[in-house]
Amino acid sequence: MSNVITSVCGRETRVIFRRELKSYFLSPIAYVFGGLFLTVLLFLSAKTSLVHGAPATMQPFFLYLPWLFLIFLPGLTMRLWAEERKLGTIELLLTFPVRTSQVVLGKFGAVVTYLGFILLLTLGLPLTLGAYGSIDWPPVLGQYVASLMFAGSFVAVGMFWSSMTKDQIVALLASIVSLSVLFLLGNPSVIEFFGSNLPLWCADLLNGISPYKYFLSIARGVFDTRDFIYFVCFCGFFLYANVLVLKARRESKG
Amino acid sequence: MIGMHSSRRPSELRRGRERGAALPLLLHVVLLLLVLGQIVYLASRYRVRIDMTTDKLWTTTASTSKLVGNLKERLIVEAYFSPKENLPLSMSSSRDWADNFLDEITQLGKGRVIVQRFDPNSDAAIAKTASRLGIQPLNLRSQSATSLSVDQHWQGLRLLYGGGKQKVIEAFLPRSSFQAEAMVTPKIKEVITGSKRRIGYMEWPARVPRGRQQKLVGWNMVRTQRDLKSRYEFQNYKDTDGALLPADLETLFLFRPMLLTDRQKYVVDQFVMSGGTLVIFADAAEYQIDAERSFKKVPFALDAKESAYPFVQQLSHYGVDWQPRLVADMHDLAYKAQFSGPQEYFARAMRVAADSANWIPVAYPYFLHAVNYDWAMSADQLAVDPTGKIDELKAAQYRKSLRPGMPADDFLFQGFKKAANRGPGFYWPTWVGLRERAGGVPDMPDGVEGRVLLWTSPLALVESPPAGLNPVGFNEGAMEAEHQRFMDQLRDRVLAEPRLQAPLMVEVQGEFQSFFVGKAVPKRPSQILEESRRAKDEAKPGDEPVEPSSDANGPQPAKLSDSVASNAEDPMRPASASPGRIIVVGDATFLRDDVIGGDYKGIGGPVSGGAAMPFFGQMLDWLSDDRDLVDLQSRVPADRTLALVDTTAKPNEDPRDAEQAMRSKTTSLVALNVIMPCLVLLTFGLIVWNIRRNQKRAFLTSLDTAEETR
Repeated sequence: MSNVITSVCGRETRVIFRRELKSYFLSPIAYVFGGLFLTVLLFLSAKTSLVHGAPATMQPFFLYLPWLFLIFLPGLTMRLWAEERKLGTIELLLTFPVRTSQVVLGKFGAVVTYLGFILLLTLGLPLTLGAYGSIDWPPVLGQYVASLMFAGSFVAVGMFWSSMTKDQIVALLASIVSLSVLFLLGNPSVIEFFGSNLPLWCADLLNGISPYKYFLSIARGVFDTRDFIYFVCFCGFFLYANVLVLKARRESKG
Repeated sequence: MIGMHSSRRPSELRRGRERGAALPLLLHVVLLLLVLGQIVYLASRYRVRIDMTTDKLWTTTASTSKLVGNLKERLIVEAYFSPKENLPLSMSSSRDWADNFLDEITQLGKGRVIVQRFDPNSDAAIAKTASRLGIQPLNLRSQSATSLSVDQHWQGLRLLYGGGKQKVIEAFLPRSSFQAEAMVTPKIKEVITGSKRRIGYMEWPARVPRGRQQKLVGWNMVRTQRDLKSRYEFQNYKDTDGALLPADLETLFLFRPMLLTDRQKYVVDQFVMSGGTLVIFADAAEYQIDAERSFKKVPFALDAKESAYPFVQQLSHYGVDWQPRLVADMHDLAYKAQFSGPQEYFARAMRVAADSANWIPVAYPYFLHAVNYDWAMSADQLAVDPTGKIDELKAAQYRKSLRPGMPADDFLFQGFKKAANRGPGFYWPTWVGLRERAGGVPDMPDGVEGRVLLWTSPLALVESPPAGLNPVGFNEGAMEAEHQRFMDQLRDRVLAEPRLQAPLMVEVQGEFQSFFVGKAVPKRPSQILEESRRAKDEAKPGDEPVEPSSDANGPQPAKLSDSVASNAEDPMRPASASPGRIIVVGDATFLRDDVIGGDYKGIGGPVSGGAAMPFFGQMLDWLSDDRDLVDLQSRVPADRTLALVDTTAKPNEDPRDAEQAMRSKTTSLVALNVIMPCLVLLTFGLIVWNIRRNQKRAFLTSLDTAEETR
């Protein structure tokens, strides 16, 4: 087991991770995406949070964040494999002496790190709230971690769809549709609808597969081992599926 | 076969290989999905939740967690909420608390709690349903520079459990998650159990003269308060035959016990031994309050004539020191009439015309309140000797021994703290404290803890009930002088006696030993009768048995089950089966129907100033609800309100300027928060671009150099 972990998180993974991360920051996409994302997110949440007499809380920020992830993240992940396939670099990449899982993990880590960097740039808002009120920091830090896990789950799904097709638009649409479904299943009003029309276990199951459900709980300031395990399993499943797809492709080529 | 294979094209071969590989791959994925699903399921069953908020906003009490986590059937919470948009700020944060708490109990309910939301503003039928349930909208006025509108805001809940039972929270407007929990959990409990909490009581009504007849005055009004009736069911257990109380009874009130038989004492003892909560409203004496207000002592005895065991001794056995003596408090904070808060109004007539009189409130130190004040702080004042100097030794002793009059932050007294900073007013209260050894050392029984809840000021007078306590006499012309004389006498006595704080209310709890251990179990009247009948039968065969006479005037006892009422009763419990609790309040008169009902208003009192009813209601919640739920009521999250500008009003400042300042501050902060991160990102990009450009230049230069060298 430790061998597997060491090999998966080994030097090769780090090389891929560095290469991917560098490619983000060297291309304008990081800045266009980041600038747009930050402007929309911060404008909406600052307008809601920075109100005289309102409680100093980051809840509005963390309520807008999943919606914006839903819109922006598929755009970021659609090119991860599809572009490699379109440019034909995937063959080259897969012939390197690295495991497929290392390639997948390296790419995944790079996107999540990039998103972490973008989220870091939003720290000005809680700092402002702290300056004009008494903000409760521990849940805010927890919420940032939860946001990153949530983003990770979306990235994993997006990467999976990107690996399935060489057309970026198809990958984008497939990601948006699947993520929207997953997202809505965690929405309280949608699940209440299911709750009153479906058997309890069925409504529970549908609700239970949505990352949004688990995000809401953490966003309130409650860290739950269940939520953490869910995100790990969710990301793990889609990354593994991604590896299987690439492996199958590699074998079929071979 | 070989030929066939060789005849297939390579693409067909590949497709066939792919198809063959797809099935194990699919199985692989499905298996993985099942394993991961199982892991998440197990993680949700055995989870660790850490509430990261500093105020522990989302840590529900053990009561709520147990209740919601162990639901047998589906609990449907119908939330009649109008949209959150357009809500004023205060209401909007209340909605956030409500929404978050509902989400929290949904999570706790593990699928058994379903929240359904309805917007009464969107559909007249929904609004009608909500109104029919008792949920009423709040009319909220919203005002802008150009318009004024009134919006209806709905925020009520209906809880439905197991198909039929329901409870409604007409206005669910919590100001914190704690308050939301304190509002919802008791209702869930009610809807699940479907029955009200049963409270037992025994009362010994006072006989008040009404002309030539006597009227029985009891404690009916406090028990039938509208708010309490919906939550508690009172049942009279004053059984003439002294049957033991049912095992499921948790709380028993004794309203002014008197003429207690040994059997009744045994019943009470066994109730405490079963882990019950016993509350006694005790009086040491009864004074006549009638149209004449003679305040003459009426014959009153705590123990029945044939009783062998004094009740005072029994209470002392449990750790309660009840001294059937009267307490007066000479501190004006304790007896002064306060029209803004709880008061025990007593007035004398001042004739203004031949046929009319005004009522002048007069001081009467036997009608008193415990005051929310730490009396140790007045140690220096109390230790002043006749020469005007502070006796330091005495002062130090007072600082050590004097206590606050009322635990104002205790749930039971919070309302009193807010109202007038003093507790409910008592009439001729009696001393009830903790058992002490000589020298004031606590002497509680093993396994029992106690605390005094209410204390008088250090200017208390304690005495055996005098025959008469009328402060103003009957001669209208001499009432003022008479009152002056009465007060002077009391003042002289206080000055002559050492400073003393008298305890007025006490609570003891723990594992008690039965008072009747080593004593013969007192027989029930029916047993005694049966034995005497048998004895008579043996003496004179053929005589008819005599039925015990029932008390036609007193309240009718509860119908007890055959098993309880039968002669074969449970053997005596020598010690507490589970921890019991005893609360003794040193007054019963303040809760009496005639005093609460204002029967003596027309003659200048005494009239209870409205504190008694809330006190009793609060006490029931305090006793009956789970402790953790009660504590929730006093929990307030830290104030995290944003103060973008200084809103303290400055003289001659135009309010529009302040509003303008607030608006421009908000705009600049929003702009700063949006622009700054983008600028940082842009700067970072420029730096990267610059580095790349320099690298590229260096590379090109190196190429040029290499070419030139070549």
